[in-house]
Amino acid sequence: MIKRRKSLWQRLKENSVAQTLSTILLPISFGVLILVFWQTQVLHKIFNTDTNTLPLPSRICRIIIDNHSAILVNALYTIIVAVVGLVIGSIIGYLIAVFAALFQKWGAGGLTIVGAFNAIPIVALAPVMTNWTKDVSNDPNIRSMVAKILVVMIVCIASMSINAFRGLTELKPFTLDLMSSYAASKKTVFLKLRLPNSIPYVFTAFRVSVPISIISAVVSEYFAEYIVGVGREIRENIVLGQYPTAWAYIVVACLIGLLMYGVLVAIESIVLKSRRVK
Amino acid sequence: MNEKPAYMNNDIEIAINNVSVVFKDNSGNNVQALDNIDFDIHKGEFISLLGPSGCGKTTLLRTIADLLEPTSGNVRVSGRTPKEIRLMQKFGIVFQSPVLFEWRTIKKNIELPLEIMGYSKKDRSDRADEMLEMVGLTKFANHYPQQLSGGMQQRVGIARAFGIRPEILLMDEPFSALDEFTKEKLHLDLLKIWEKTNKTIVFVTHNIQEAVFLSTRICVLSPHPGRLSAVVDVDLPYPRTIEMRDTPHFGELVSKVRNSFEGGSL
Repeated sequence: MIKRRKSLWQRLKENSVAQTLSTILLPISFGVLILVFWQTQVLHKIFNTDTNTLPLPSRICRIIIDNHSAILVNALYTIIVAVVGLVIGSIIGYLIAVFAALFQKWGAGGLTIVGAFNAIPIVALAPVMTNWTKDVSNDPNIRSMVAKILVVMIVCIASMSINAFRGLTELKPFTLDLMSSYAASKKTVFLKLRLPNSIPYVFTAFRVSVPISIISAVVSEYFAEYIVGVGREIRENIVLGQYPTAWAYIVVACLIGLLMYGVLVAIESIVLKSRRVK
Repeated sequence: MNEKPAYMNNDIEIAINNVSVVFKDNSGNNVQALDNIDFDIHKGEFISLLGPSGCGKTTLLRTIADLLEPTSGNVRVSGRTPKEIRLMQKFGIVFQSPVLFEWRTIKKNIELPLEIMGYSKKDRSDRADEMLEMVGLTKFANHYPQQLSGGMQQRVGIARAFGIRPEILLMDEPFSALDEFTKEKLHLDLLKIWEKTNKTIVFVTHNIQEAVFLSTRICVLSPHPGRLSAVVDVDLPYPRTIEMRDTPHFGELVSKVRNSFEGGSL
């Protein structure tokens, strides 16, 4: 046997420890690099801006720590809007998918219409919802919450219904024949085949709709009547010229996004654990 | 006492009466998949439907299983329609691929039809354990399908099919995706299970050696349109052994089958 010497690069590529290190370390070191450039004002030079428009990370941190109780309340409202909208929207989306899967003749066409809803920009949707919900309650906070949740909901329906429909209908070859050979009823086929088959697709939908739910929650807060939430604070502070506080809320919005995505990935890895064993 | 194996009694289990199947292809033309197939399968027999691709062997199997309606003619299973037999849950089917649900463990996959048929939890578990032992996968009961090799997965598929104690086992090229070594082992396993259970097996294959090694009789089908060219009796004794493949008689049977294809040798 001829022993071939592998290049260092080759060996690194094949080493699984190096693999995980590179997938975790590379992005983190890139982030750290940006932070360093930011703090040392290299970024400001590149973008030709000042520390008022783009406050230093240390300043933003300071503001978050000093105002943590107010920030927490606002963050909580945004999270409630995003999560409630996400959950209700996804449930409705899944039910639409079930309906479309049961009546596939019209179902696929119906889903195209749902998909078209997805093309409506959030900025257009938010004021409309605020207008529609003005008679829901006498309490402006409740009215606004309903409007904001509706926006998130509508946005989340599309991705769930389209993905779940695929999960309910794209079955492996012969699985339907197998169920038919057992004389399984439509209900049994749904419960024992279609439903479990759709679970990974549900998570695909969530991977899209979790970030979107936060974006739409933040944007709908801009247009809401009642002044609360991370999105609203970003707007208010920019209007008042308080850029550092606005930036603090931008960072918080990012953190909420990361947190929710992290929770999703954790739940997904537990639920789909058995399907991913090697 | 009757010492003969069940299949030698010649009781008719499946009667295929002048079955023709016509498909419409994508451009709307009629394609004759099966042309007037007429023969009987006996109780306890191991019969192979053998032919090249396009000969309609899978189509014929699907009409027996009531997964497909013949265009004309009919199939009777124990005097009933295939639909009645299917609704009585008397068919066990093994497909070309194992068709296992990746969200269920091996044992739960074997239990799936038993669940649908309303067996109690304990009965399901006992039966699945028994089947796992039969195919030698007891150790893998709690593994997931994707953790098993292709051959092991196909064994699970066979265990699942036998688990419902079917009257008739329909197998559609179940070993075609496996390597020779695995295939040889599964042939012996399958024959052992067949001899023990006395079930009627209808086995679709395009492999002449495989058909000769396993079957009591071989239905040779020719393509375009799919029609029955010959029915060849395989007079090798059971239990069959790997060594039989090297005997001159085995070779003679293989050539006999090969020569029975219409239009001579393939």
